[in-house]
Amino acid sequence: MNSTTGMPRPPSDPIRATNRSARLLAVGGGKGGVGKTFVTVNLATSLARLGKRVVVVDVDLEGANLHTCLGVPTPQRSLADFVSEREEDLGKLLVDTPIENLRMIGGTHSNLADAQPSHLRRVRLLRGLRQLDADIVLLDLGAGSHASVLDYFLVSDDGILVLQPEPTSVENAYTFLRAAFYRRMRLAMVGHGVRQLVTMAMDQRNERGIRTPLDLLREIEATDTAEAHRFVETMRVFRPRIIVNGVRSAEDVKLGFAVSSVCKKYFGVEAEYLGYVNYDDEARQSVSMRRPIVELRQDADVSIYLQRIARKLLGLPSASMAVQNAGHSAATEAAPAAETRTRPPGGTR
Amino acid sequence: MRGIDELDHYELLEISRTATSVEIDRAYRMAQQTYADGSLALYSVFESLDARAIRDRLDEAYRVLADPELRAQYDEVMKIEAPVTIDLDSNRPIEEALRQDSEHADRGRDAADRSAASVSPDSFDDVVEEFDAIEDDGSGEFDGVRLRRNRLFRGYELDDISSVTKVNSTHLRNIEDENFGALPADVYVRGFVKAYAQTIGLDPKVVVPSYMARLEGSRGGTQPGGLFGRR
Repeated sequence: MNSTTGMPRPPSDPIRATNRSARLLAVGGGKGGVGKTFVTVNLATSLARLGKRVVVVDVDLEGANLHTCLGVPTPQRSLADFVSEREEDLGKLLVDTPIENLRMIGGTHSNLADAQPSHLRRVRLLRGLRQLDADIVLLDLGAGSHASVLDYFLVSDDGILVLQPEPTSVENAYTFLRAAFYRRMRLAMVGHGVRQLVTMAMDQRNERGIRTPLDLLREIEATDTAEAHRFVETMRVFRPRIIVNGVRSAEDVKLGFAVSSVCKKYFGVEAEYLGYVNYDDEARQSVSMRRPIVELRQDADVSIYLQRIARKLLGLPSASMAVQNAGHSAATEAAPAAETRTRPPGGTR
Repeated sequence: MRGIDELDHYELLEISRTATSVEIDRAYRMAQQTYADGSLALYSVFESLDARAIRDRLDEAYRVLADPELRAQYDEVMKIEAPVTIDLDSNRPIEEALRQDSEHADRGRDAADRSAASVSPDSFDDVVEEFDAIEDDGSGEFDGVRLRRNRLFRGYELDDISSVTKVNSTHLRNIEDENFGALPADVYVRGFVKAYAQTIGLDPKVVVPSYMARLEGSRGGTQPGGLFGRR
């Protein structure tokens, strides 16, 4: 996963070797009901409003409802048509939304047997998604940590994890991360023996007593240094990003930093804290209004936070610049910041 | 990737080697919360024994780094040991690893310093700073909403500010809510806002005049305007 914005993709990667491919963003979270779809829809809308050509895809074939949040009538054609091989061209499944620059591919289907694509089909799907005529393709992942969900997450340029400040959500987020981590590692390993070792480590009560990713690395180091090196390299490029949704207190805000720290100390993985979204009753209602909250109430806190995350995803303003210019005056900093910020009119409520 | 035992004090606290004492304090406070028993962020990942080990290491790191003398001694030792860093170091950005590989012949103090500076590109302070730059340039008009956003953003509860400033949190809440009628005389409010801004790290010279102007503007003649309402 290439989380660094603007970096050229390695040409060696067959999935990414197209001339002009869309940036793929996957939004997951392990648990249902943490606001994945809410976040996805609003990020997609915010990105579209920032001038990007965006496609949002409902990959959650078992609980497709993206169209509802966008105020789009149940699409006649959906991803299920591609999965079941009734349609080969993903472009033909695109549906317009009320928002300029934003189109979608629905996930509804009438036949439950269509729900899970085969592995081969999934590979074709991922390739097709990148070839869509768009700048950014956002995937709304389903709940759970099935291989099908994990692969979307792993293949995307940015894998975003949405969690809520509650134990069940945090636990599910880690379960998801752990599953994604081990799956990614197993794919990175070459030798059969080492792959088996990774598989074994996925089971928390394995006979070798491998409890943590570090334990696993030590085991691999003892067997094969080249594989160990690959392991570490893969760890370095595995960079999930975190959004905390439903924040009510400063304590909740800090959860993102804390989870990021734990990821580093436990998995050895840099998980960037993208931002948080505050709890907002009206935001919940926006779902029944069938319009993204960033459209409905642009100046609400919740919209400002969502738009901020969208800007951050685009690197606006450049994160590295902010750090580099640490010693700058407030005046020079104000210019780029003011440009991209949408201030609430008059600042009144 | 290295285990908790193999991280140096700076890496453990996720700060750079040039961190100021304020940054060290903040990082330690943050880490204490993160690895406290019952911390939400630990849920289902670290077992309580592991968390305890991390806390002990954090305490030790803070004990050393918070004391300028001990820190200087520690830095001296680090300088000598620095070139021994193993290649399997997940904390190092790729470019840094490449650069170091090419100049491993003369890994002097210089290279060690440079790698130290980039040890934690996503440390707490960087992220907060980054957020702040996007969220708030610190200039312009400050209203209650903007104050509250900045407060939450910088991780303060009202009670935190109250305990530092000794200003009743009801007043602070009224300031944020722009519940002007419930606030005491302006001269007090001015002091409260100043203390508030200072505590969360905003410039009082910008915040106070701006907020007070709003307060005064809100009166617009419709206010009963008793003696205590005005300056």
